[in-house]
Amino acid sequence: MAVLGSAKAALQVTEVLETILSRCVGPEGRQVLCTKPTGEVLISRSGGCLLEALHLEHPIARMVVACVSSHLRKTGDGAKTFIIFLCHLLRGLHTVIDKEQDSLVSKNTHTHRRHWKNCCQWKFISQALLTFQTQILDYIMDHYLSKHFLTIFSSSTKERTLCRSSLELLLEAYFCGRVGRNNHYFISQLMCNYFFKCMACESGFEEVFDLVDDYFVELNVGITGLPVSDSRIIAGLVLHRDFSVYCPADGDIRIVIVTETIQPPFSASASEFILNSEAQFQTSQFWIMERTKAIMKHLQSQNVKLLLSSVKQPDLVTYYAGLNGISVVECLSPEEVSLIRRIIGLSPFILPQASSQYEICNTALVKFCKPLILRSKRYVHLGLISTCSFIPHCIVLCGPVQGLVEQHEGALRGAFKMLRQLFKDLDLNYMIQTSDQNHTSSPLTYKDSRESNPLPEIVNGLIQRPYQGTVVKNKGNLAKTQTYLKVYSNLVVPSVELETCIPCSTPKVTPTDTYQTNETLRCLAPTKTRTIDDNEPFIESNSANSTAENTGIEISSENLQVTKIAGKGNMLPVREKSLEMCTSQSYCCSTLPAGCVLPVGGNFEILLHYYLLNYTRKCQQSGETMVSMIIANALLGIPQILYKSKKGKYSFPQIYIRTLRALQTNQPIVSSQTGLESVAGKYQLLTSVLQCLTKILTIDLVINIRRHPREMYDQDSDEEV
Amino acid sequence: MSRLEAKKPSLCKSEPLTSEKVRATLCVLKGILTSSYGPSGRLKQVHNGLGGCVCTTSQSSALLSNLPVTHPILKILTTSTKNHVSCFSDCGLFTAILCCNLIENVQRTGLTPTTVIKLNQHLLRLCTSYLKSESCGCRIPVDFSSPQTLLCLVRSIVTSKPACMLTREETDHISALVLKAFLLTIPENTKDRLILGKSIIVPLKGHRVLDSTVFPGILIEVSEVQLMKILPIKKSDAFKVALFCASLSGDLSDTGEGTVVVSSGVSLENAVLEQLLNLGRQLVSDHVDLVMCQKVIHPSLKQFLNMHRVIAIDRVGVALMEPLSKVTGTQPIGSLGSISPSSYGSVKDLCPAKFGFKHFLHLIPNEAIICSLLLCNRNDTVWDELKLTCQTALHVLQLTIKEPCVLLGGGCTETHLAAYIRHKTCNEPESILRDNGCTQTQLQLLTEAFCRALESVAGSLEHDGGEVLTDMKYGHCWSSQAESPSVVNWPDLLSRCGCGLCSSQEELGWSFLKTPPHPTAPQTCLPHEAIGSSNNLTLDCFTAKLSGLQVAVETANLILDLSYVIEDKN
Repeated sequence: MAVLGSAKAALQVTEVLETILSRCVGPEGRQVLCTKPTGEVLISRSGGCLLEALHLEHPIARMVVACVSSHLRKTGDGAKTFIIFLCHLLRGLHTVIDKEQDSLVSKNTHTHRRHWKNCCQWKFISQALLTFQTQILDYIMDHYLSKHFLTIFSSSTKERTLCRSSLELLLEAYFCGRVGRNNHYFISQLMCNYFFKCMACESGFEEVFDLVDDYFVELNVGITGLPVSDSRIIAGLVLHRDFSVYCPADGDIRIVIVTETIQPPFSASASEFILNSEAQFQTSQFWIMERTKAIMKHLQSQNVKLLLSSVKQPDLVTYYAGLNGISVVECLSPEEVSLIRRIIGLSPFILPQASSQYEICNTALVKFCKPLILRSKRYVHLGLISTCSFIPHCIVLCGPVQGLVEQHEGALRGAFKMLRQLFKDLDLNYMIQTSDQNHTSSPLTYKDSRESNPLPEIVNGLIQRPYQGTVVKNKGNLAKTQTYLKVYSNLVVPSVELETCIPCSTPKVTPTDTYQTNETLRCLAPTKTRTIDDNEPFIESNSANSTAENTGIEISSENLQVTKIAGKGNMLPVREKSLEMCTSQSYCCSTLPAGCVLPVGGNFEILLHYYLLNYTRKCQQSGETMVSMIIANALLGIPQILYKSKKGKYSFPQIYIRTLRALQTNQPIVSSQTGLESVAGKYQLLTSVLQCLTKILTIDLVINIRRHPREMYDQDSDEEV
Repeated sequence: MSRLEAKKPSLCKSEPLTSEKVRATLCVLKGILTSSYGPSGRLKQVHNGLGGCVCTTSQSSALLSNLPVTHPILKILTTSTKNHVSCFSDCGLFTAILCCNLIENVQRTGLTPTTVIKLNQHLLRLCTSYLKSESCGCRIPVDFSSPQTLLCLVRSIVTSKPACMLTREETDHISALVLKAFLLTIPENTKDRLILGKSIIVPLKGHRVLDSTVFPGILIEVSEVQLMKILPIKKSDAFKVALFCASLSGDLSDTGEGTVVVSSGVSLENAVLEQLLNLGRQLVSDHVDLVMCQKVIHPSLKQFLNMHRVIAIDRVGVALMEPLSKVTGTQPIGSLGSISPSSYGSVKDLCPAKFGFKHFLHLIPNEAIICSLLLCNRNDTVWDELKLTCQTALHVLQLTIKEPCVLLGGGCTETHLAAYIRHKTCNEPESILRDNGCTQTQLQLLTEAFCRALESVAGSLEHDGGEVLTDMKYGHCWSSQAESPSVVNWPDLLSRCGCGLCSSQEELGWSFLKTPPHPTAPQTCLPHEAIGSSNNLTLDCFTAKLSGLQVAVETANLILDLSYVIEDKN
C-alpha cells in the first residue's frame, strides 16, 4: 500500500512526539520511566532514549528518530529541542501553504494533480531550506550573532585555560535537562570536580575529554542501594573485578601486563606432540612447572608486585605468584588493558622464548594497589602514575535503583560528548551576493594557487576537518595585532576580528616539542629575506603538508611565516572583516572559535529570530524570505516551552519583548537565568533539523511493503555461513 | 530468526500516578508492608500455586524477593528497597513504608512535582544533618566497653522478626550468641586497619533453638564413615595443614591447543597417578597432618595418606576456601609438583564433634577470627527466617563498628524527627522559602505531609488496635493498650515509650498522632542516667536507618517526578 507522503502526516507524527518530549524539556522537565522487554526499568529524561524506547512504527517517525540519533551521535545533546523545533517548522510551513491554497481554492483541480502540485511546492521549499542552511544561516551567525557570544575560557590569560565557574554554569544547565531536579546540582558539581581532578595541566584538557569519552565505562562504577548523595570521586583506577591472589605490598610496586598464559602450554596450537613414554610426559610436566616457577621468580626479582592479565591464568601461575608475593588480577577486558596502557604507557610483557633471556621486562611503577570494597563487592584499586595529561580518577555513582544510576551515567557521558564538541572550532562558510563587500588583500591571498582550484568543492570537503588556530603577535607598527590565521590546506583565512565578540579568548598553540620549535625557527629564517614574489615554493610546501596529514604544529609554523612576510610589508589587513574572496565568487570562510557559549533560556533562539527577521526585510527573493520567516517563528517555540510555567515578569511574552527592545537599542541583554549553553551545539542542532526537514519534504510517496526485510536476511545468513 | 521480527510499538501512559489502578496497587503493597512491620507485625505466607516451598515471613528481604510485582512503578519501589536491604540488611520495611506514605501524602496535597521535590529534598537535608549532628536527641553513642548497648541492638533486631517464633528465653539466647559470634571475628591485635573475620552459619534443623552454639574456628561436615577412618586422631600440640585449590583427582590437566598423540601402551592416567603419589610422599615426609582439597582427591591418594595417618578431606567447596586459608594460615596450593614449605599452615587442635545427626570435624585455630555459629530451629521455614535474622544482626554489628552510634527504636526516632522538622519549618521558614522559591502555605502543606509520613511509620508498629501517642517534651512514641477508656489519666496507662528510654512518671503532655500537632521543639538532651541503667532499650542501626531514610525520600521523589511510563511490549 502506498501512502502519499505529505508534510501533514509528518506534522501529525511530530506533534505527538512533541507532546511527550516537551514535558521533559528544561529545568521544569519531568522523568519518564521505560521498561525493557527483559523487565528492567530505565529512568530517563534524555530525548534520544525516549524516542528509542517508543519503538515507533510510522515510517516518517522512524526517519525522524534516525535523524535524531545521528545528530546525537555527533553532539550528545538536543534531541528534545530537535523534535520541538521540527514540529514548529512543520506547523509554520503548513499555515503558509494553507493560506496559499485558500487563495487557489476556486481553481478546482483534480485531487491527484493537486498532490503533485503540492509536491512541486514542497520541493521548491526544501531547496530554499537547503540554501538557507548552507548560506544564510552561517552569514547571520557570523555577522550578527557572533558579537553576543561569550566564552568558556578564562579571560585573564592568553593561553586557553578553562574557567571553572563558567564550566560549572555550563554543566549545571546541561544536567538540568538530563537528570532529576533534585540531583542536577550535585551531579554537575561531581563532574566538574572530576574533570579538574583528572586534568594534569591546564592545557591538556582536550586529551582528558578524549580519554574519558573513549573509556567512560571503565572509569565509572555504578552502585545500587545507596542514596545518590553517596556518589563520589576516587583517586586512581578501579578495575571491575577482584584479585585472584592478593599479597599486601608497599613501597616500590611494579606492575606488568600479560596477554597470554604465563604457564607454557603442554602442546602449542597447530602442532602435534607425540608422547612415547610416561616418563616423557612427567618430564614435560616438570619442565612446565619449573619454567613457570622461573618466570615468576624473575618477575619477583624485578620487584614486580602485581600481575595484570587479560586471560585466565592456570592455578599453577596464581600459586607461584602468591608464593613470590605477587598479586594477580585476571580476565581484564581489552578496554581496561588499553586504558591502562594509555595512562602509563606500558606495553605488555612478552614472555622470553629461551630461559636465559630474562633481562628485557616491561614494568611500570604504581603508587598503591589494594582491594576496594564497595557495597560488599570487592574491586581492585590501582594508583597508577600517569604519563599523559590524564590523572586517573574514577567516579562512583550511587543510586537507589539501577535505572537511576544508568541515567546519571548516560548524562555524564553525554556531557563529555557535549564538551568535546564545544572545544572544537566551528567553521562557517557562506556566499556573499553583493560585490561591494569584497576587500582586496592581495599580499595574503595567493591568487595563482587560489584560482587554479575549484574552490567551493574543496572548502566544502575540508570544512569538517579539525584544525588548529594560532595567535600571532605581530611586532610591527600595527596597533591591533591579534587575529586568527587559519590554514585550510592551501587557503589562508583570517577570521573575523575577535575584539568585538570574545574578549581575549584567544586560542594559542604553543609548540610543545623543542625540536619542532627549532624547526619553526629554521623555517622562519630564510623566509624573512624573501620578498612577496617568492611565495610560490612556500605554497607548494603548504599544500604538500596538507596532503600528508599535517599536524597542528606544522600549520602554526607556517602561519608564523605568513604573518612575518606580511608584517614586513606592512600590508597585513588586521582590522578588516577579512572576507576572503576568489576572483569569480565571493566566498567567505570564518570560524566560531572553540568554547563559544550563550546564556540559557532561549537566548540563542530569540537572537537568531531577531536577526532573521531583520534579514528578511532586506531580502529580495520571495522563497528565501518565506523560509527565513518560518524558521524565525519556529525558533520561538523552544523558549515558549521553557517559560511555560513562569508567570508575570518572567513569562515568555515579557522576556521576548524585553530582549527585542534591548537588541534594538543596542543594550546588553539581561538574562533571568544563570547557566550557559554551547553555541556550536545549537548551531549543529539547527542544521540537523533543517536537513531532516528537507528530507521529509522531498518524499512524495511512502510505499509500505509487508514482507520480511530480504536484504538483512541474506546478509545475516551469509555471516552465519 | 526472531530478531528479524518487527518490534511492536511501546505503550506510553501519561501521569501514571493519577491512574486509579496504580493507586490501588500501591495501597495494597503498603497494606502488606505495614501489617508486617515491627515485633507485633503479622506474618505473611507466600506460596506459589505452581509448586515450590511455602515461605512464612515478615521480613522485607524475603517478602519482596518472593512477591512478583508487574507495574513499573511498584517495581521501582521494591527494587530500591531490595537494593537497600542488600547493602544494609536492616530497615527494609521502614524504607518501603516511608516511601509509600510519602507518595500518598504528597499526592493528597496537590502541589506541583517541582515544588514537592525541592522541598522534600530540603526537608531530607534537615533530617540528615540533624541526625548526624552532635545535638541529635535520638542518637546514642555506643560504649564498646560494655556489651549492653550492642546486646540491646541485637535483641531489638531479633524481636522485630516475629516469624522466627522465638520465646523470650530463646530470644535472649540467640541475641547473646550472635553478639558472641561477632566478637569472635574481631582480631585481637590489629595494625592500622581493622579487618574483620567471618562468622559461618552452620545449619542444624529440627533441634531446639536453645541448642544453638558458637565455636571459634571452622566446622567441616564429614560423613560418619569418613570420621571413623580418621579416628582416633593422634594428639600433638599443633597440626600441620595443607590446603589444595587444584584438583587432586588425577584427571589430565589442560593439554593446550595442539594435538597430543599418545603411543599405545603409554597410560597417561598412570603417569598422573604416579605424580599424585609422589606428592603424597612429599606431604608425608613434610609431616603434614591434615590435607584438605577444594575439589576431589583421587581414592588411591586418599588411601595412601590415610595409611600414613594423614587426614584427607576433599570437596571442601569454594565458599570455605577463604576462611580455611585464613584460619590455618595456609596458601592454597595450585601445583602438583614440589610444594614450598611456606605454603603449609597449622591449627591448634582438631577434634571430631557430633551435633544431632551430623558429624563434624572441628578445626580450632591458634588465633580465632573465624567462628562457626551452629544455628538450630524446629523446622525449615523458621530456620530460614532465623538465619536471615542472624545475618542481619551480624551485618548491623559490623556497620555499628564503622559508625559507633545507634538510633532509638520503637518509633521514637520517627516521631522525634517529625517534631524537630515541624519546629524547624515553623520557626525558621525564611531560609527554606528563599532557597526554594515557594510560598509559606506550600511549605506548611508539604512539611505536614512529610512529618505525617514519618509518624505513620511509627504508627505502623501498633497492630493490636491500640492508640499511638507522642509526648510534647521528648517527641517519643508511645502506644497504649487497645480499648482504653476515653477519658484517662495517661501516666497510668502508658508505662514506657517505644524505645524504653522514658517512663511516664514525668509530666510530658501526650497527644494522639492523628490530632493536629503543636510545633514544639523536642528536647534534645536525653535522660542520660536512663541510658546507662536501662538494659532493655529498643535500638536501631544508625547507618541503615539513615540510608533508608535517604533512599525512601529519593525514591519517592523519583516516582512523583514521573510524567510518562513507556512500556516495551516486546
